[in-house]
Amino acid sequence: MSKCHLSIYASMLLFFVVCQHSVAFGGGDRTSISPPLLQQLTISGKVTDETGATFPGVNVVVKGTTTGTATSADGTYSLDVSSDAVTLIFSFVGYAQEEVAIGGRTTINIALTPDVTSLNEIVVTALGVQKESKRLGYSATTVQPDYMITNRTTNMMESLEGKVAGLNITPPAAGAGSSTQIRLRGQAAFAGGNNSPLFVVNGLPLDQAAAGANGNGQVEQRDRGDNLQNINPDDIETMTVLKGATAAAIYGARAANGAIIITTKSGSKNQGIGVDFTSSYTTSHALNFMDEIVQTEYGAGQAGVRFATQGAVQGNGQWGWGEKLDGVPTVNFDGVMRPYSAHPYQLFDFLQTGTNFTNTVGLSGGGTNGSFRASFSNTDATGIQPSNEYKKRIFNIGINQNITSKLKLQLNINYANEENINPPQVGTQGEGAVNFFNRMPINTPIEAYRDNAIDPNLGPTFGSEYKTNGFLGTINNPYYQLQKKQFFLDEKNRLLGTATLRYQLTDWLYAQGRYNYDRGTNFMEWNVLNGAGATTVLNADGTFRGRYDIRQIESTDINADFLIGGNKDFGKFSVDASFGGNTWRRNSSTNQQYARNFVVPDLYSIKNGTIFGVTDPDNTGYQPYSISETRINSLYGWAELGYNGLLYLNVTGRKDWFSVLNPADNSKFYPSVSGSFIFSELLADQAWLTYGKLRSSWARVGSVNAVNPYEGVLTYSINPPFNGQVLAGINGTGAPNPSLIPFTITEKELGLEMRMFNNKVLLDVAVFDKVTTDQILDVSISNASGYNTTKQNKASLKNSGVELLIEATPFETNDFKWTTSWNNTYLKTEVLDVGNESGTILLIYFNGTTAPANGNEFLGELRYTEGLAMNQLYTRTYLRNEEGEILVTPTGRLRASTGGPINTGYFPIGSSIPKYTGGWTNTFSYKNLILGVFIDYKFGGMVMSSTLLNMTRQGHSKMSLGGREGGLIIDGVYDNGEPNTSVIPVASLQGHYSDYRNLQIGDPFVFKSDFVKLRTISLSYNFSSAIKKVEKLNFVKGLTLSAACRNVAILYKDLPGLDPESVQSSGDFRAGYEGSALPTTRSYNLTLNVKF
Amino acid sequence: MKAIKHYKYSLLICSVLFFSGGCDKDFEEINTNPYAVVKIDPALLFAGAQRSHVGTWAAEHTIVQQFVIPSNQGATLGFSLNADIDGNSNPKWDQSYGGAVRSLVQALELIGEDPARNNLRNMIRIWKAQVFMGLVDAYGRVPYLDAGRAVTDLIYYPEYVDGAVIYDDLYTEITEALAELDPAGDFVSADIFYGFNAENSTSTSADQVVKWKKLGNSLLLRLGMRYSKVNPSKGSAIVAEAFAGGVMTSNADNAYIKYDGSKYVLAENNNLRNFSAQNYAAEPFVEQLKATNDPRGKYILAAYADPGAVATSPADTVLANQFGVPIGVIDTEITAEGSPYRGKRGTGLNYSQMNGSAIASPAAPEFYVTYAQTSLLLAEARQRGWITTGSAQTYYEEAIRADMENYDLYPGTIAITPSEMNTYLSDPLVDFSLATTDEEIFELINTQYWVVNIRNGTEAFANFRRSGYPALEPNLYNDDLNGGFVRRLSYPDREASVNTENYLAASEALGGDNLLSRVFWDVP
Repeated sequence: MSKCHLSIYASMLLFFVVCQHSVAFGGGDRTSISPPLLQQLTISGKVTDETGATFPGVNVVVKGTTTGTATSADGTYSLDVSSDAVTLIFSFVGYAQEEVAIGGRTTINIALTPDVTSLNEIVVTALGVQKESKRLGYSATTVQPDYMITNRTTNMMESLEGKVAGLNITPPAAGAGSSTQIRLRGQAAFAGGNNSPLFVVNGLPLDQAAAGANGNGQVEQRDRGDNLQNINPDDIETMTVLKGATAAAIYGARAANGAIIITTKSGSKNQGIGVDFTSSYTTSHALNFMDEIVQTEYGAGQAGVRFATQGAVQGNGQWGWGEKLDGVPTVNFDGVMRPYSAHPYQLFDFLQTGTNFTNTVGLSGGGTNGSFRASFSNTDATGIQPSNEYKKRIFNIGINQNITSKLKLQLNINYANEENINPPQVGTQGEGAVNFFNRMPINTPIEAYRDNAIDPNLGPTFGSEYKTNGFLGTINNPYYQLQKKQFFLDEKNRLLGTATLRYQLTDWLYAQGRYNYDRGTNFMEWNVLNGAGATTVLNADGTFRGRYDIRQIESTDINADFLIGGNKDFGKFSVDASFGGNTWRRNSSTNQQYARNFVVPDLYSIKNGTIFGVTDPDNTGYQPYSISETRINSLYGWAELGYNGLLYLNVTGRKDWFSVLNPADNSKFYPSVSGSFIFSELLADQAWLTYGKLRSSWARVGSVNAVNPYEGVLTYSINPPFNGQVLAGINGTGAPNPSLIPFTITEKELGLEMRMFNNKVLLDVAVFDKVTTDQILDVSISNASGYNTTKQNKASLKNSGVELLIEATPFETNDFKWTTSWNNTYLKTEVLDVGNESGTILLIYFNGTTAPANGNEFLGELRYTEGLAMNQLYTRTYLRNEEGEILVTPTGRLRASTGGPINTGYFPIGSSIPKYTGGWTNTFSYKNLILGVFIDYKFGGMVMSSTLLNMTRQGHSKMSLGGREGGLIIDGVYDNGEPNTSVIPVASLQGHYSDYRNLQIGDPFVFKSDFVKLRTISLSYNFSSAIKKVEKLNFVKGLTLSAACRNVAILYKDLPGLDPESVQSSGDFRAGYEGSALPTTRSYNLTLNVKF
Repeated sequence: MKAIKHYKYSLLICSVLFFSGGCDKDFEEINTNPYAVVKIDPALLFAGAQRSHVGTWAAEHTIVQQFVIPSNQGATLGFSLNADIDGNSNPKWDQSYGGAVRSLVQALELIGEDPARNNLRNMIRIWKAQVFMGLVDAYGRVPYLDAGRAVTDLIYYPEYVDGAVIYDDLYTEITEALAELDPAGDFVSADIFYGFNAENSTSTSADQVVKWKKLGNSLLLRLGMRYSKVNPSKGSAIVAEAFAGGVMTSNADNAYIKYDGSKYVLAENNNLRNFSAQNYAAEPFVEQLKATNDPRGKYILAAYADPGAVATSPADTVLANQFGVPIGVIDTEITAEGSPYRGKRGTGLNYSQMNGSAIASPAAPEFYVTYAQTSLLLAEARQRGWITTGSAQTYYEEAIRADMENYDLYPGTIAITPSEMNTYLSDPLVDFSLATTDEEIFELINTQYWVVNIRNGTEAFANFRRSGYPALEPNLYNDDLNGGFVRRLSYPDREASVNTENYLAASEALGGDNLLSRVFWDVP
């Protein structure tokens, strides 16, 4: 253990000892100091609201201590205080806080008045510090947890899409337990790092850790969820989105992309024992837009002729270049004659209705000195793809306890168990139902694939996948997987624990120590079938094909921190300052093993294998056991100066030391400065203006999140003996770079917040400008250098934009209320510098086979290019002459563009990142009935459709119909300008449409990813007042029933055949590329919430 | 109040402690992976790199019409149809630079000037020359001195060097290395050609150096012969020097390795089993074997009951029953009604494929430099008068015998008998004594070189371009090559994207990055 950690732990320990000391021996100390014993007295009273009605739930606290209580249902309270107590503070959200001098009284009654200027006033900011929002010089948006409960999604973040300005959420269509893409104020860094914000759950920092489907291979082609799956929306008390770097500066490197602060429930004081129960049932249905692109006129065949023999189908059955469908019995892959007629929506016949049944029960209670809540939640979900199941159980405890009048303990524990069974294979040309059904001709009914998935012929092919086409291995019958029981199990257990001790040293100074423990285990187990994608179950050496893998990952994250903080007023001035330190240590280990070349068929176990991971010469980099260890140590502090409730100035500083960097230069200092000006204080005479604030901030943060431990050093692989001789090689395709430094994000923000017309209109505008420099980049290098990539501090980019929130209550009567809210983000991204002369960097070449720029998806490139927006898609286009006419070859075939900005014929066609995102929420309430209607949209991004390309080159799309009768003459000209008259005969159509892929002509496959969606309609009814009228039901404190429909309708889209949101991956590598993801779903939800 | 002061004091101590240790004391240790191999014996890197790339069925073997993929399946469209498809040209590049080159460069870096590793260093120099000779032969201008140096010298975008310049340096490298090999120096046990565990094993440095001198000189002979069109006098001198230095004299000198077929498999052959319905033997090659009743034929060709399932389907290996797919014809033409071709069989075409139990077995040996190759080159050199010892006919016949003997190494073969060899050698299409003119003799020799290199596509392709033999008809599909042959492989598209400047310069110098540009020794 390092000295530094020793010292931090020592600090922690000392702190706890000191606190303990005060608990155990405090009395003794006191007796030794001053003889006069402090007396206890009891103060009681009643609190009323502005109408004189009793006011339950008001917090009553002795100033400068944690001694406090809350008013009971009849508005009364009773509090034991020591005789030296001076002042009581009464507070309730939305009401002006009152400080009342005790002055020897034992009865204090008080009426609270609403404070219109302070709605949403208390904001949970960095390190869990609660602040009045007027003191903030930056943008912080509080999310209403109710919305996440009424409009429930399996991954809670998905329900927030479009709800918060600046927060761009993109859920991939990748199964029930999948991750979401979360980006705050754009994508701060190029792909490769962690570009999602930091989540802080009760003070415990948690990376999103999205394990999206980012590539090929059994693991990478599936979305394995993210850490947000571990949080139950029913447990959330508050959620605050800290968008800017200033808000996050105090979290240092981990919060370079902003932070989302979540506090879970821990009951409230003096409320007695209560039980709450939520039950929710959701069904999901695949949305089918295929009729926009699929052709239903021609069946399997080539050169305009249907296949005549079973062998021909098996050899070439993927082609849809046959004859016009005529219903005449025609041979299929299984030798059966079936009518030659259309079955175009097979994928949707294959998919099923997804379900999600979630139940949460919570028990909470509170006495005079503390409160608690414990909850248990169970989710049982099935995906729309058969065999995909997702189960999770979340156990959550929150405890608040005043150990003494000055010492307070807060304890939060969240335990989650997740089982993700058979997450679908998406975004890959290979296994997966979507790829299969989209790329097979339409004349074979789905029953044929279902009933003849396994080759029935006795002999060497027996038991293997019944060959359906010539691309076996790339286009595989999903029923084979289902029936032979291919499995992929992903089980996660995660314990998040936080213990916080806070000691009030004086009425203006406190000290706090906190220990966060995050322990996760992840067990994965999967197989590849003996005969999947092959015509035999046997290897050349007579063993059985297939593979069986197990992987166990254990990780421990420990964060220990201390904080000393105080605030004091000096006349019109106020000072609030804190100083703290943190050590973050992350350890993880991976145990894995696999076996292949099996002895016994259909048995997937290690012992059944004859070649194992450790002895596999084809997999020389394989590590059966590996570890990863990183540390970041930090010191930080901040100070806030206030003047008369009018002006606030906030300065923060933090220094991080990183273990993954070269010791010669491994630390980074992050400063920030922000201010707010409550100009409404000077305009008290303006009745229309209830509250007005101008805010401004500047901050600098940074991150090393793209640097992995140990990667600065070249390592070697030792390969198993080759005929007795051990061989060695070099590991990996990345050239190590030991001289990396953190990258830096500098952000400026200017904001205006106004509440007007008696609080009926709220306006919040922010303008931000965020520049990332010295990015840590996986730079593609010539593989003639021996390596494919190297990490470098190169490149800078800029995200800038405007965030707007307008909320209004246009209409309100006693019974009816209409509130409307519109948020919009305009985001402009620009690559400023890529660090090389060409001004462009290739991220992924989708048609390539060389890792990591390996798309193997056939079309285009993703690049970062100076002067252009981030995530720029490139493709070749038709070759055109100066008049813009398409040029063809002398035989009338397509030609691809040449030259262009990078001299390869590839041209930029736009960014995958939308420029405009937003949502419009309308809430109508009539008495106890609430109707919510939410529309959201994204505009300004581009997408390339691999589905359309593949369906076209294989003869399944409407586009591929051109020329089926009599051949095709491309609407173009020859080099001499004469119009094209060369006919591409029917027999060559397949070649012509393949030209798009072979020449990489992208024109017909590029679309805007824009959409407008009627995202949700929800209806909820609160039965509480109805129940109150029935005396026998008085034990029920509340009952709400709600129904919601999500993805009600797509009001506008450009991409044909698919929902533009049906993306494969929550990562940044395959941005803008649509390929073989599941269809998106419409879901119907019914939720019951009861409180006892 | 005193108690409170106490606490303040303690907190102060906390802070001081926090600062005092510095905050990164053990970070270097924390960031060191205790399980990673960060030091390695360079001999093991060398051994790993000896398994260098010798061509693929879909590329080099298809260009020289031994093999064909007669279908337009988009991704597999390639040399069979004269198309310049990235994935077909890349393997030689990717596997050479990303495999052997970087390991050999790193090994040399680790060895430095260490006199105790003198022989290892010089073996590496020779083998590195072999790898680069193949790269120049395949692509023309290629990255050379800069190549493989991302880690050692931070060169990420290597420059391409003129092939002739590289060849000159390869000559220097080989001759210097040969001179420096020391019979009294270090024994490199890990050497998988001649080391302790090798097929042609040795156990003393004296014996090993003898083998490496023969290997080096045979490579030098190969290098010299490449000049036969572009600079015969230079070629003649190098060949004479190599011959005088001592080249391979029997199969016991062969540089080859043997796969066990289960743990280590010959990946190129294993790949042949996937998509087997698309993979066939080409007509010119089948006709050569049939016409001469080649006893190797039954181990090279097979007609499978279902060409789509060669791994499991029964095979007919009778030579007379073999048919190769004609060049420039695609599957839809073959299977079309009333076509003049042989139509379909099973899930594939009614044609022969490579014999998956022998030549195309995952357990087949892989030959890099052999006595058979060497002896054929000597036959031509003798005929040209570049060497003056021995007879061309003897070199020629010894080469064929030696190659036939090598078939013992393939699984499932029975030794070809001397009488079979003699019968073959007296076949009118093989018999050396029937050839009269130089050209007839060159055709005989280099046609045999083509057969001998059935699993070394790099060599088969290079020698075909150099010698002009065998006499093949150009593939006229779409006539994309203007009635000619593929003269080189094209650079990976990734190079155009990533190493653009150097790529463009090299392409321009070559006269375009296409299949018709020529490498320096391949003058029309």
